[in-house]
Amino acid sequence: MQQISRLSRTDWFGPLLATVLAIAIIGSLSKNFLSPYNIQILLLAIAVNALIAFAQMIIIAIGQMNLSVGAIGGLAAISFAGMMEVWGLPALPAALLALVIGLLCGVLNGVLVRITGISAFVITLATLSIYKGINLGITEAQPFYGVPAAVKAFGAATILGPIPWLLAPTIAATVALWYMLRRLPVGRFILAVGSNDHAAGLSGISVGATVVIAHGISGFLAALAGILVVARLQIGQPSIGDDWLILSFAAPVIGGAVLAGGHVSVTATALGVVIVAIITQALVLFSIDPFLVQVVLGALILAAVGLNKLRARDTAKGSL
Amino acid sequence: MTPIFEAKGIQKAFPGVMALKGVTLSLLPGSVHALLGENGAGKSTLIKVITGVHQPTAGTLLLDGQQAQFHNPRDAIAKGIGVVHQERNLFPRFSVAENIFLEQIGSSYLTPVDYARLNREARRWLDALELDIDPATPVSELSVARMQLVEIAKALSLQSRVLLLDEPTASLTTSETDRLFQIVRRLRDDGTSLVFVSHKLEEVQEICDRVTVLRDGANACDSRSMEGVTRHDLVQMMIGRAEGEGAWRARDTSAQPEVLGLSGVSTELGHRDVSLSVRKGEIVGLYGLVGAGRTELAKSILGQSAVTGGEVRVDGKPVRIRSVFEAIHTHGLGYVSEDRKTEGLILQHSVLANAGVPIWRKLGGALGTLTDGKIRDAVLPYLRKLEVKTPSLAQTAANLSGGNQQKISVAKWLAAGVRLLIVDEPSVGIDIKTKAYLHELLRELADNGTSILLITSDLPEMIAVADRIVVMDGYRVTGELPNTGEYDSVSRAVMDRIHDMGEVG
Repeated sequence: MQQISRLSRTDWFGPLLATVLAIAIIGSLSKNFLSPYNIQILLLAIAVNALIAFAQMIIIAIGQMNLSVGAIGGLAAISFAGMMEVWGLPALPAALLALVIGLLCGVLNGVLVRITGISAFVITLATLSIYKGINLGITEAQPFYGVPAAVKAFGAATILGPIPWLLAPTIAATVALWYMLRRLPVGRFILAVGSNDHAAGLSGISVGATVVIAHGISGFLAALAGILVVARLQIGQPSIGDDWLILSFAAPVIGGAVLAGGHVSVTATALGVVIVAIITQALVLFSIDPFLVQVVLGALILAAVGLNKLRARDTAKGSL
Repeated sequence: MTPIFEAKGIQKAFPGVMALKGVTLSLLPGSVHALLGENGAGKSTLIKVITGVHQPTAGTLLLDGQQAQFHNPRDAIAKGIGVVHQERNLFPRFSVAENIFLEQIGSSYLTPVDYARLNREARRWLDALELDIDPATPVSELSVARMQLVEIAKALSLQSRVLLLDEPTASLTTSETDRLFQIVRRLRDDGTSLVFVSHKLEEVQEICDRVTVLRDGANACDSRSMEGVTRHDLVQMMIGRAEGEGAWRARDTSAQPEVLGLSGVSTELGHRDVSLSVRKGEIVGLYGLVGAGRTELAKSILGQSAVTGGEVRVDGKPVRIRSVFEAIHTHGLGYVSEDRKTEGLILQHSVLANAGVPIWRKLGGALGTLTDGKIRDAVLPYLRKLEVKTPSLAQTAANLSGGNQQKISVAKWLAAGVRLLIVDEPSVGIDIKTKAYLHELLRELADNGTSILLITSDLPEMIAVADRIVVMDGYRVTGELPNTGEYDSVSRAVMDRIHDMGEVG
């Protein structure tokens, strides 16, 4: 009994339970759900969505928001495709440059937040518009079709059975983030600043540098997600990233992130991504109106926030 | 002996207020130095200047006789200056060990944290404090007192040459305090220079061998030995001599009816058997040192915390005030907060909006609609009367001086038509001229029939304004005396009542 209550206090236990239940229920209702093809589609969605969620999660960790996650991802995506088509760059340098663009967009967000003292919500609302505007200026709202065969092959290839290669960068990013937030001082600084930036400053942590680093990581992850989408769609769509915002918040919140900052869980956020992917997929499988997906996603966020609040009260009681 | 650390002529200006006006402090190695002063005297500001949180506007810091500059807390830490700040500075979800060593981790971004080593080393400092806590425990699972001890362990771990403790005993029990004092003495014997800030003078006399007293942002005494300094001397220096007391005049309100009365009131905050009464047009002063429970009493009267026993009367009738809303609208009680920046005003809003808040309901039209014109008509006479100096009513409150902000806090209650105003530390952070004006204003209000309950730690202010003084300590009333306006006799009488409680408590 006590073990269960201890488990229920961890961030990952609830989402894991929900994941297992969802797989069991939907799997028993629909034979197609656990088919290799369907699993591959699920994993492809997870590969991209996890990066989007992490891009937001790292900003939630410092107690801020990044509304420009989708705009950065979109800009990196069309830069990647555009550099290959227009400049004829090989895939790898193009991808690296696109990642640098994402990183710089994020760093710019962080620097602006830091030097103006204006809330990240407002700053990233503005840069969202700027990055999206640059995107549309470059593409004139037309997709880049000239994605090289190598990239297309990477987007479609599988490592083993239904496991796509696209999952590899995501797994690497997950492990790196997990290690950083657990073990590396920079990760601890990010959580410390999110928990109490005043106290962090008094402890000799450079709050400014930490904020900029977190935004840089966010931009980098958003760009990585954008590149993976190009590989998956096999074209550089200017609209990539437009629908990332809700998704980016849903998974971290389902994973128990404290929106005020200072506490996020990589594992639980990843599980949050899986839950969202499964539910979305299930709605498709049962041919339910796709607009309902939005409604369900919103309801899911509300439920998760409510649960987090209850849990926070429980932990507070437990400490007395 | 040569000082290990000196601060000379330190000035610190914040927008609208001079927090430090040329303070000196000199610390000897192997000593425990008391830094005393009432709230607002500048202790915390001085500590923040010494530890690199604030940059001084003028003045020099000397470390081992060499001029030193701290641009941020890191610089000060690197030079061996450690501090336990008054406010909690822990990260609740981090482990005890990580909290203790965060300063040391702070120097690199990418070297992996070795938690096993942190836990081992944290053990050492926890043992020094005889704290039986697993270093891997998240701080959020500790009691408040233990969190305080973890902060002290954190400061110890820096092995500082100068260690500042800002009210370290505020949340400790007697035995925990004793334990802390043993450590303080050991550190002192090892040559550390400690600075001890506390409002508990018994503790100061027990542990400190040197003292500096601040008052109103300046030295009430330079750094000196505690030898021959009595508790009476300390209190005297902290609260100061009378300055410009002349304005007091006798006012007789004995024939007036009682507006607010308390008999044997106890509260959930810990007040016991508190009785006092305020007549129409009377100014009753509520005096006590910080922590005496005065503000808490005000908040209980206003219904923010529960009254658990005794009787509260308004206009002679027993009442139960359940909320601030009721206190204002049913009973006509208003409260001018000591913390006008966070509790008294909405700094980002205009002067007009601030002055109108309490009467919005009253002015609202059929649909609760408000017009600026209506609010202006209601509050302008009061803003004029108090001579609030503002370029326009649309000016945001944050841009006004402290004195003018305070006037708005008063004006809004006058506009609301309150009959009794509780005024809490009205002159904190206000210059002397405005202060005198504010005193005149309080008297004028009283002459016009508003009753005033004045809470202040500034004894000269109390003696300049009050008709009657009620002395509080330890959440009880320890005495009551009429004010004759004569500083020497009244201050002695007030101090006697504080001494009484000092020896009893």
